[in-house]
Amino acid sequence: MKIKHLIRRINYYVCGGGMCLLLPLMLLTTGDVVGRKFFAKTIPGAFEISQYLLVVFILLGAAYTQQVKGHVGVDFMTSRFSPRGRALCEMFTTLLSLFIIAILVWEGWVEGIKERTVSDMLRIPQYPFRLLVSIGGFLLWLELLINLTESAAKLKRRTQ
Amino acid sequence: MNPVTVGILGSLLLVFLLFLGMPIAFVMMLVGFLGIGYLASINAALPVIANTVYETASFYPYTIIPLFILMGGFAGNAGITRGLYQTFDKWFRRLPGGLGIATIASCAFFAALSGSSVAASAAMGNIAIPEMRRFKYAPKLAVGAVAAGGTLSFLIPPSLGFVVYGMLTEQSIGKLLISGIIPGILLSLAFIVVIIFQVKMNPALAPATPGEVSFKEKILAFSGVWETLLVFFIVMGGIYLGFINPTEAGAIGATALLIIILLKKRLTLKNFSASLFEASRISVLVLFLVAGANVFSYFLALSTIPMAVSSWMAGLEVSRYVILAIIILIYMMLGCFLDAISMMVLTMPVIFPVVKALGFDPIWFGVVCVMMMEAGLITPPVGLNVYTLAGVVKDVPMQTIFRGAAPFLLSMIAVVILITLFPKIALFLPNMMGR
Repeated sequence: MKIKHLIRRINYYVCGGGMCLLLPLMLLTTGDVVGRKFFAKTIPGAFEISQYLLVVFILLGAAYTQQVKGHVGVDFMTSRFSPRGRALCEMFTTLLSLFIIAILVWEGWVEGIKERTVSDMLRIPQYPFRLLVSIGGFLLWLELLINLTESAAKLKRRTQ
Repeated sequence: MNPVTVGILGSLLLVFLLFLGMPIAFVMMLVGFLGIGYLASINAALPVIANTVYETASFYPYTIIPLFILMGGFAGNAGITRGLYQTFDKWFRRLPGGLGIATIASCAFFAALSGSSVAASAAMGNIAIPEMRRFKYAPKLAVGAVAAGGTLSFLIPPSLGFVVYGMLTEQSIGKLLISGIIPGILLSLAFIVVIIFQVKMNPALAPATPGEVSFKEKILAFSGVWETLLVFFIVMGGIYLGFINPTEAGAIGATALLIIILLKKRLTLKNFSASLFEASRISVLVLFLVAGANVFSYFLALSTIPMAVSSWMAGLEVSRYVILAIIILIYMMLGCFLDAISMMVLTMPVIFPVVKALGFDPIWFGVVCVMMMEAGLITPPVGLNVYTLAGVVKDVPMQTIFRGAAPFLLSMIAVVILITLFPKIALFLPNMMGR
């Protein structure tokens, strides 16, 4: 039980950290436009920094989004099932989600450590951001694992 | 098995897993992965998901999504909705169903700042519904107006619908956003006509609001709309004139609204972080859906289904408008079960090649498509706006909201027909654009 809350708390703060990057992203882009239009000066590398900020923002939010059931699905059929059927269904689809996210995590790592590209202007290496696919994916995987245990608990309560 | 058979089996598996309630993004990734593994090789399939997720999350034009959501969040925090509502109440009080009209007008103006229709429904629900009830409006009319008005955010730029359409079909997001302006105004007017018509038929629905408003008060009420107009003209004017790209417009719009919040001293940590969490949640949801759609499209392309379907459709001996009508009908039905963005990512890989093969204008189809998705927000049994509203006004049953929204649905269809007959309505502005 304790681990579950710890993971949820971590994912909440990870998302909270990532989302704060939206402000520098917003100000950077605005500053770049204002500089370009009024002072004929641009912020060097604004484009690539924006890209990297977006990567961090999105990937760190993936797990929290699952936590609040933000990855939408269709519950129009399952809402008519019996509670037991619904729990079984959830377990089955969560297992499939765990499988596909596991591939994302694994391949994110494999592809990430191979990456040698640097950004055009500021020469920021790309691999730490590539590896975030794996890290963000792993947090998402943990969140799905929690969902699986919860569905299993529901099923157990029903059968007892 | 030939590729087309594999494609069909994959699509069936997709539908099956969708109905079991698996998150749509993961379903598309899974089925895409299995399909690519079968049609190409497992080694080709393995890295696809990780690479697609990275490429989607690092694609500069997509920064527009969190920025547009943030605009809506900040506009809500700035208390702009209340100001809009008070202004339009003063302006339209004499008309039948004046508060209902004020609701639609406020929704349309809020839509000019926000990309998310759920935000609009929630914000307007809290302000407009108590007011309409105070003046003894029929609940059906009150909730219907808010539910329908909320959908305007999906059409009037900044609009998430156009962004996702542009992402999936590689059309200019700037042109798409601009193309939504006139149809958006038209639809707002159509909604207003619906309200006036209903009240004329049955005056008991909306008793006249007492109290005269002097001419001076009407002029002073302008203070409630100027912020909205200012931000809208900076953002959309900038895009229209080609000064800034849509992403930059999103950043400037969000910054401008943040400055307005600071000037009005309305910044609270709670609202601020709620806006950011909302931006994060919706952006992740949308980008994972798009990443899933890209994986799935890759599989579909390997299966040659989109080409086969579009050449078959193009070879049919029927008017292309018949096929368009069928597509619209499909969207109406899908809209009953799926949310707008999911509907778009699921159908676009097949529908868009067909539409192009039939010779329809892609920007124009974007407008039609976004309007159909918009209709899906208020059709039973699953209408996202209705759900949101049901959460805000707890004592009105969901059926009442759906019934109240139904007349507005008809006016949406009327506007879609109008735009089909006169595509210029949608294409006039984008065709005149700077680039």
